[in-house]
Amino acid sequence: MTQPIVAIRNVCLDYGGFRALDGVSLDVNVGSRIVICGPSGSGKSTLLRCVNGLEPFQSGEVFVDGVGVRTCKDLPKLRLGVGMVFQHFELYPHLSVLDNVTLAPMKAKGLSRREAEEKARHYLDRVGILDQADKFPARLSGGQQQRAAIARALTLEPKVMMFDEPTSALDPEMIGEVLKVMRDLARDGMTMLVVTHEMGFAREVADEIVFMDKGRIVEHSGVSAFFAAPKTARAREFLDRILLKI
Amino acid sequence: MDWNVVSANFPLLMRGLGTSLQLAAVVIVLSFPIGCLIAIGRLSRRRWLSAVCAGFVHTLRSNPLVLILFWFYFSVPLIIGRSIDDGASVIVAFVVFFAAYFGEIVRAGVQSVGTRQVQAGLSSGLSYAQTMRYIVLPQAIRSMRPALTTQCIVVFQGTTVAYVIGYHELMHTTSMIAERTVRPVELYSFAAVAYFAVCYAGSLLSRHFEKQA
Repeated sequence: MTQPIVAIRNVCLDYGGFRALDGVSLDVNVGSRIVICGPSGSGKSTLLRCVNGLEPFQSGEVFVDGVGVRTCKDLPKLRLGVGMVFQHFELYPHLSVLDNVTLAPMKAKGLSRREAEEKARHYLDRVGILDQADKFPARLSGGQQQRAAIARALTLEPKVMMFDEPTSALDPEMIGEVLKVMRDLARDGMTMLVVTHEMGFAREVADEIVFMDKGRIVEHSGVSAFFAAPKTARAREFLDRILLKI
Repeated sequence: MDWNVVSANFPLLMRGLGTSLQLAAVVIVLSFPIGCLIAIGRLSRRRWLSAVCAGFVHTLRSNPLVLILFWFYFSVPLIIGRSIDDGASVIVAFVVFFAAYFGEIVRAGVQSVGTRQVQAGLSSGLSYAQTMRYIVLPQAIRSMRPALTTQCIVVFQGTTVAYVIGYHELMHTTSMIAERTVRPVELYSFAAVAYFAVCYAGSLLSRHFEKQA
């Protein structure tokens, strides 16, 4: 078996007495699509931030393509391999969409402007907003902004893409267009680690579901098993509540 | 009223205004970059560095400018054992004093950009310095422009404090002529108009930036 692209090993994280992550371990294999769900404050987003070294943790280790995050001397290089999409898009408001997408390829990866723009246009086209390339982010709808943010991450050609509640800040009618882009990515074989409450998306696209509560993974199963019969009471309760809402 | 006293002394008064503007310009050009360094220091994760910078800012902001000036003018020569030039002590005192204020403006500007933008930059593989340079500072400076302009006006007004050690800026020049000619009303009125013109032009600029932001 090939080694996992991301290997999370017994990660613990304390925020001054509050245990945000409590011994989390998870393997993300190449080509797998893992959805992480759970109540707010359960540590899902924190876990993603540990993977690319944005959040320092006290014990355990995360390996990205075999490189340990805690001992890594060159975090910027490691992060190039891990695309990240945020809940609130985090496009840079002072730059056009195209410049948003080309900034890191040029400054972090050392591509020429021409190469970077070529790649950027390719990925903007792929998420369906090439015609918005010269606009500033504030001119775009929420759905378009999030698709621009996805293109920005894809242009670095990462080995794994992480999504942190990518549709939570969107109006309902814009969720679909973002999920479609993510579904297309999954179909093309992208390795994905997705924190979301979109259970429809999880059921359709994911092959594993991780359920977190109070900083721990309380359930980790295949999609059909999870939706058919959650093993833990906590997960059952959560599913009931979230599915009833929809 | 005898306004002739103003026209008779006009070249001298203008030289005073020129000295005031020059002093303000030198102070701004030197204290802004120092303020930037202090702001970066205050935001540093190194506890001792941010404590030192915070201490500097709080000390300076909790003292009147005139006292800081006296301190440099009277105490520093005693400490170092030799006299220093009037102009030098004025500039050093003003730069130190206003660097603290510029530092606070820059710190607030950088913080207004928010950590999520920093995280976005870092997660795309940019270094911390690159994230600051390409993402945080351009946004921070845009939002800081009105406050920076206002602070420049305050610096210009602050140059009047140099009067107390006989530095020949506009306030001192005006009072010298007023004493000599015994025409304080006309001369101080003229000085008021001159200060108003410069400061009002500055606040118009500040308002312009505010509208842009």
